[in-house]
Amino acid sequence: MEALAGASGDALGSSPVHRLDPRAKCVVTVLFVVAVTSFGRYDVSRLMPFVLYPVAIATLSGVSAGSVAARTLAAAPFILLVGLFNPFFDRQVIVRIGGLAVTGGWMSFLSIAVRSFLAVSAAVLLVLTTRFDLLCAGLRKMCLPRVFVTQLEFLHRYIGLLAGEAQRMVRAHDLRSNGNRPKLALVVYAPMIGLLLLRALDRATRVHRAMKARLFDGEIRVLRPLAFSRSDFLFILAWGGYFLVCRFADVPGLLSGLAGVR
Amino acid sequence: MHMADALLSPAVGGAMWAVTAGLTAYSAKKLKEIPDDSRVPLMGVLGAFVFAAQMINFSIPATGSSGHLGGGMILAILLGPHAAFLTLASVLVVQALFFADGGLLALGCNIFNMAFFPCFIAYPFIYRKIAGRYATAKTISVAATVSAVIGLQLGAFSVVLETMASGISALPFNAFVLLMQPIHLAIGLVEGVVTAAVVLFVWQARPEVLAMAEENAPMRGFSMKKVLAGLAAAALVTGGALSWFASTYPDGLEWSMAKTSGSEELPAPEGGIHAALAGIQEKTAFLPDYGFRASEPEKSAGTEAETPKPETPAAWPNPDAGTSVSGLVGGAMTLVLAAAIGMFLRRTSAARR
Amino acid sequence: MSHHYLEVRDLRYAYPDGTEALKGVSFRLEHGEAVGLVGANGAGKSTMMLALTGLIFASGGTIDVGGTLLSKKTVGEVRRRIGFVFQDSEDQLFMPTVFDDVAFGPLNQGLSEPEVRERVTDALTRVGAERLADRPTYRLSGGEKRAVAIATVLAMLPDVLIMDEPGSGLDPYGRRLLIGLLRDFRHTRLIATHDLDMVLDVCPRTIVLHEGRIAADGDTRTVFSDAALLERCRLEQPSGMRK
Ligand SMILES: Nc1ncnc2c1ncn2[C@@H]1O[C@H](COP(=O)(O)OP(=O)(O)OP(=O)(O)O)[C@@H](O)[C@H]1O
Ligand SMILES: [Mg+2]
Repeated sequence: MEALAGASGDALGSSPVHRLDPRAKCVVTVLFVVAVTSFGRYDVSRLMPFVLYPVAIATLSGVSAGSVAARTLAAAPFILLVGLFNPFFDRQVIVRIGGLAVTGGWMSFLSIAVRSFLAVSAAVLLVLTTRFDLLCAGLRKMCLPRVFVTQLEFLHRYIGLLAGEAQRMVRAHDLRSNGNRPKLALVVYAPMIGLLLLRALDRATRVHRAMKARLFDGEIRVLRPLAFSRSDFLFILAWGGYFLVCRFADVPGLLSGLAGVR
Repeated sequence: MHMADALLSPAVGGAMWAVTAGLTAYSAKKLKEIPDDSRVPLMGVLGAFVFAAQMINFSIPATGSSGHLGGGMILAILLGPHAAFLTLASVLVVQALFFADGGLLALGCNIFNMAFFPCFIAYPFIYRKIAGRYATAKTISVAATVSAVIGLQLGAFSVVLETMASGISALPFNAFVLLMQPIHLAIGLVEGVVTAAVVLFVWQARPEVLAMAEENAPMRGFSMKKVLAGLAAAALVTGGALSWFASTYPDGLEWSMAKTSGSEELPAPEGGIHAALAGIQEKTAFLPDYGFRASEPEKSAGTEAETPKPETPAAWPNPDAGTSVSGLVGGAMTLVLAAAIGMFLRRTSAARR
Repeated sequence: MSHHYLEVRDLRYAYPDGTEALKGVSFRLEHGEAVGLVGANGAGKSTMMLALTGLIFASGGTIDVGGTLLSKKTVGEVRRRIGFVFQDSEDQLFMPTVFDDVAFGPLNQGLSEPEVRERVTDALTRVGAERLADRPTYRLSGGEKRAVAIATVLAMLPDVLIMDEPGSGLDPYGRRLLIGLLRDFRHTRLIATHDLDMVLDVCPRTIVLHEGRIAADGDTRTVFSDAALLERCRLEQPSGMRK
């Protein structure tokens, strides 16, 4: 739950990045992810210019690089698992650095690692710099079905609460088993989950009552005016342009050419 | 079985986004047809329940490892397919955003793999068929178990297809399938047993909850034909996106073309599993590594750009070691530059404060 | 101005499982009156409050709120007049931010944006929580949650306030603040609580509920000095009276 506690969308900062319209940040994030993932499987160096984006956003927003990295690494296991097969199946040597022969498999593995880091860090930065309610307001304005946005908001609201209940149940069980933490046997686990579920159902009933007591009629209404300003527009334009250039021009190649490396 | 951005091509990711957006809009529309304002908090809290339940691990008998609930089938059983789909989708969105599970591009795939199959296939065609009319402890257990297993098998297979179509992983199709399906058979059995146990628990404690869920989930409009038509449409969208992508941005798929044109075959270590796998592949292959050359031209006949172009000089993979090294050096330089810009930004923004 | 009354006659309710929670309850709250509702666990306090706001439909009896008889048709009107503060603020605060939550009721009343903003500001100021407006609701302390929960109801300008255990989970300081707040309100108030000292401080009149029936209804000090009654209803004399 720490992940949620740390970044639960109450990104309360007031940096220029925080103040951008959530829609602008969403658009740029998507552009970024698409640009990064659109490279060929062996591309590593061409991905490097894209590192600028998370670095710049993290710096400008004052979000600590450590928290971005920690969150980003949380995504690593599955990717590494699948990516690690590449070196075994793709053994064509494609680069020689000095005496070292690098196979396509290792290059593509490296590429997977880099693009994973980039894509995940962009999403992480989006939530770290955007209040969740405003993000949802942006999603509503961007024509997502209202039921779905409302669902996101309710889910986000009650995750912490139910997670707390779950934790307390497990702790109570642990205490009864003399301090040593046995893994839950299925016979204990299933009723525990069942109980958690019944409590969740009761909670839903009570919340529904509280809503009806305040005249809920099936429609959730919110006042969250968003103003798309010129700086939002510029933000999209600037980063979009940068991504475009880096996607279609070989910036690292040009740089190394300038530096005279052949 | 979260798909990750890093293993996806934008074409596959984008196409699955489109498919998922369609399913979301469809589900939202269906819910509007049967207004029920108690559903709003119910979906929200049950989504949170799935989250919370996933934090509790139990020991899987006789293996020494531990597992947790996925929750897809439970939601489908409690909420009906449409509400459950939206709820699961919201769970996956929050996981992608806050827990870096999957990723934004992969979100479409993940929602499709983990929400579509349990809600729109396993629930209506398996669970309801078995436990729909005569709900007894036995039918509920069997129905929950079988549907959880099948939902997960389909989802896992879908992961394989998406990965293959993206072509970032070098894992051959058959190896990937042999890896994914048995693992998910095990996971599915466990999920099935837990789902059955939890549903039974609720059924005994609060029979009305399940009865109401069934009432609210009319099965009208669920025909195999429709679902198959939907899947065909999804395949068309994906295929269309892929071929468009292939013709517009050749390098994304080029490697697979290169492979199919034989310039980059597996090094085929003598004998052993690799050779065996390669053998099987040659016979059964229908996915990008091996099949695109055959299927591509007919799919987008009429445009001439999509035929695998002979290697253009700038294209990857470029085995010319010289340029690759300079590429690496350039990459390193760019990285340093990015870091320097970051440092500069930090200075200036610190100075402003 | 004496129309903000609440009159309950022979109210009965049984839960679907057969539990008779209310077995014929009658009382009348006059305009501006503050009344304590006490009773042991399971006495039927929460059930009664749900019935008063039409969140469960009584199986017998009538509820009259300032001249409007509660029925399926008038339930919206009744909920407009009765503000219900729930026992668990986590249930009451379901929106992402404090502002959204306080604005929820007024927006459902169909007010215009400026009116809603004014209502929100006023209500939050009233409970001393105006600086919390942009905070996410799940990030508040227990006391802050309670204050905001009360504000969500105040923002709808109800005539009658009913509160289920408003003091639960508050520390002594938070409890004092709450008591100050409740004393200052001019609404007709019905406050269900186990905190008899709070009743003593806030409510001149007390209703004692016991097993779904009214066991006593009258001046708070008189009721609380009847040791036999308190004993029978599993209650304890407040420390404030033992001095
Ligand atoms: N959902 C329910 N289904 C069945 N019986 C219920 C339900 N809720 C409450 N009851 C029963 O109704 C009776 C009155 O309960 P109620 O919650 O109104 O008491 P209360 O006075 O609010 O108690 P407390 O002080 O513990 O909050 C109790 O006997 C209780 O067991
Ligand atoms: Mg109560």
